[in-house]
Amino acid sequence: MTESIVSMQGIGKRFAAVKALDGVTFDVPKGSLVSICGENGAGKSTLMKILSGVITDYDGTLSVDGQAVRFSGTRDAEHAGISIIHQELNLVEQLSVAANVFLGREKRSAWLMRDDRSMLEEAGRLLKELECNVPASALAGSLRVGDQQLVEIAKALSLNSRILVMDEPTSALTESEVERLYRVIAKLRERGTTILYISHKMEEVFHLSNQIVVLRDGRFIAQLDTEKTNPQEVTRLMVGRELESIELGERTAQGKKLLAVEKLSLAWPGHARGFRLKDISFDLHEGEVLGIAGLMGAGRTELLECLFGASVLAPTGRIVLEGKEIRPSHPAEALEAGMALVTEDRKRLGIFTAMNVGKNISLCELVSMRSGPAVSNRKEQIASNSMVDKLLIKTAGLQAAITSLSGGNQQKCIIGRWLLTKPKILLLDDPTRGVDVGAKAELYRIIRQLCNEGLGVIVTSSELPEVLTLSDRIMVLSEGRQTALFSRQEATQEKILEAATRGFFTGS
Amino acid sequence: MSSPNLLSRLWSSVELKLILAWLFVVVGTALLDSNHTYWTDASGASQLIIRRTVLLGFFALGSAIIIISGGIDLSSGSVIALSATVFGAFMILLDPEGFRNGQISRVAVAAAIAGTLLVGGMIGTLHAWLITRIGLPPFIATLATLVGLRSFGRGLAPTLTGGKSQIDFTDTALRNAIKDVPTITVLFLVFALVLWFLMSRTVTGRHLHAMGGNEQAAKLSGIRTDRLKWLAYVLGSVSASIVGIISFADDGSAKPDIMARGYELNAIAGSVIGGCSLQGGIGTIPGTILGCLFLRTVIDAVSKVVGSGADIFEGMIVGIVVVFAVTFSQRGQRISSKRYFDGGIGWTIIPILSLISGLLTMLFFGKQDWYASSYAVIVGLIVAAALTSRAFWEARSARNVTSSVTS
Repeated sequence: MTESIVSMQGIGKRFAAVKALDGVTFDVPKGSLVSICGENGAGKSTLMKILSGVITDYDGTLSVDGQAVRFSGTRDAEHAGISIIHQELNLVEQLSVAANVFLGREKRSAWLMRDDRSMLEEAGRLLKELECNVPASALAGSLRVGDQQLVEIAKALSLNSRILVMDEPTSALTESEVERLYRVIAKLRERGTTILYISHKMEEVFHLSNQIVVLRDGRFIAQLDTEKTNPQEVTRLMVGRELESIELGERTAQGKKLLAVEKLSLAWPGHARGFRLKDISFDLHEGEVLGIAGLMGAGRTELLECLFGASVLAPTGRIVLEGKEIRPSHPAEALEAGMALVTEDRKRLGIFTAMNVGKNISLCELVSMRSGPAVSNRKEQIASNSMVDKLLIKTAGLQAAITSLSGGNQQKCIIGRWLLTKPKILLLDDPTRGVDVGAKAELYRIIRQLCNEGLGVIVTSSELPEVLTLSDRIMVLSEGRQTALFSRQEATQEKILEAATRGFFTGS
Repeated sequence: MSSPNLLSRLWSSVELKLILAWLFVVVGTALLDSNHTYWTDASGASQLIIRRTVLLGFFALGSAIIIISGGIDLSSGSVIALSATVFGAFMILLDPEGFRNGQISRVAVAAAIAGTLLVGGMIGTLHAWLITRIGLPPFIATLATLVGLRSFGRGLAPTLTGGKSQIDFTDTALRNAIKDVPTITVLFLVFALVLWFLMSRTVTGRHLHAMGGNEQAAKLSGIRTDRLKWLAYVLGSVSASIVGIISFADDGSAKPDIMARGYELNAIAGSVIGGCSLQGGIGTIPGTILGCLFLRTVIDAVSKVVGSGADIFEGMIVGIVVVFAVTFSQRGQRISSKRYFDGGIGWTIIPILSLISGLLTMLFFGKQDWYASSYAVIVGLIVAAALTSRAFWEARSARNVTSSVTS
């Protein structure tokens, strides 16, 4: 009925060994709001980065207004009327709101002087339009995340963008900020702006969009009219059959209690809420997998960091490991006590890019691989190889560069690094983030195998199906508080989601 | 299976490239030098290069360890000057009589050496505290001591010498013993061997590499990063203190105002030429030694070719060698595919580089018999022509790449 404003033909992109996108083809009708759905790692963000000129090196053809285009940078995309609001906002925190809105295309007055006043006025007008009550002269860094996001939208408005890409815009917003964002989106659509909206929250997707595009493992799966579908169908398409068909095998019985956490709290000075975690209590047994679910910012990572002695401030409350209270103030002490943490951000906090595969695996347990004062090459090789074999790490050898491995195999190297320390408790922070589906299933099997060997495992995940597949019990966090603790039998996606979105601060 | 792998790794190693480049410089100098010193006085020439290399190598190794562990030490020149002053101060205080007569008791000397090294350890501890506890960036912490310690030494000298700004080394026998080239060379080799073992064979060394490569990840792997930083900075300052002691003997006096000024940058240059990455995590002890040897040899070569007054050019040579070494050792980048002369900056730099080449030709060879002023112009024009053709070639191959993508 309507002409298409953006058309994608066979878009493909690969990062080293990983195919992030593969032959994605669909059209976006003019003036519509199209949601792009898919699990983490499905390729949503990569696709949008191509559309907005962030990624310039890809296969396939992108057309805007029926014309094939090839952007050589974000500036090109902006000229074509495309703006993107990234999940991680792109503001210069030390500059004012107005300076950020006009960054790179500052207004000038006579004598080529920067015209701060007219930029302030213009930015102020845009902010008012967006119901954002901050002065345009405020420093961007002093704003709340919700307001920062509106500054980015103001920037897009000042560019007269016809196409706006929003990458999970609500993931860090409070409820009232989300409502304000919805009103802003409605206003933008009245002006005829086409919006591409990335999200995996079904509620939002069905509330906002005309059409839904589903991606999975970098491939186009379906394009649906929102009216003619339902959340169950979209979820099924997003997850695919692969996950359901994973047969993890028999469970051994759980053993004795390994860990008890009582009223664990972590302060958050300078934040309105005042705490990152409040009164978290749970226990963990040998051979048990405890899943921790929650939205972004719920405190999942912070909880694991507290247990591992890696939090910035010391937490309060008690952590009892095998009957003995521990207060790790450094990861070295937690390691000593028998804990291991596989971090969420593999690239930044996990791998050592200057070291090869073997050295990445052996790092935490080098002390036991010595003969005399020197590290024995032979002992190190045997240990690293044992993990390559046990975890089926696909590598050209121990000498291969860690960066030559796929995300899933890098993750296995890090798990192997920790298994060498023979931990009693393994903490896994979103272990399958950025890992393709095949490797995901393998990681699930490894986790199951490890708990059958008697390890206690705590695993966080941003994906509900994953938590449901892996866990014996599921704890749900919302805004730093524990809102539910389900057994495997009673847990469902709906119950978990309800507990994860339960707010505390809308009333008070 | 591992032998071709090993061979290719050897071939691509910084160490082998440095050895080849070094041989090239030595042979070139032997031919170009009008006195042919490298043939006629081989032992004298090599002694000079070895002494300079050792004096640089000691604290360059300390700097290299700090760089590998992800930090930087700007203070080593000042630590050298202060250590020389402190060494003299200890001898004056422990055996004032002997110092005046020029026959210092050996016990006092030993205690003075120990005391000076201890002061080095204290400076390193101060750096580690400023960095890990106060939270200063290493650049700022060691910048503060770079200016602070030299000034401290200048204040210290007059209080011990009755108002003189320098301390003279009176005991000639001791002086000759400390500056003896074979002795310091052996000492250096032992020191280097210990550090090589530490960095490449021990757990601590692996942890230093890990911390330099990714400090957060290292901490989350249970590595005590604060202690490692302490070790790195103490090694850095103590190695500079050793150089302070030797330099005191070598120079014959400790002049805290001018001694070893700017040497910290030579140490960083030696490490970087030897393959250390300022981003941390990458670098070796043998590479750093070869880097220092190469640097000192090039400086010596220029002085042989240019003749007297060549020390003026030392800074320029260090600058040029560092730029070339880092440019040609960048990992994962082929020189043929890089675009050095792209855009406005690229085209503007061509006349600037041509001008510099012409001027350098004049400065280096101006005093030679065969030199005529047209040579500087000719060299400048040749460089201009070469760079311009490279720029055109780059522009053309870049166009080819884009057109092949869009077609």
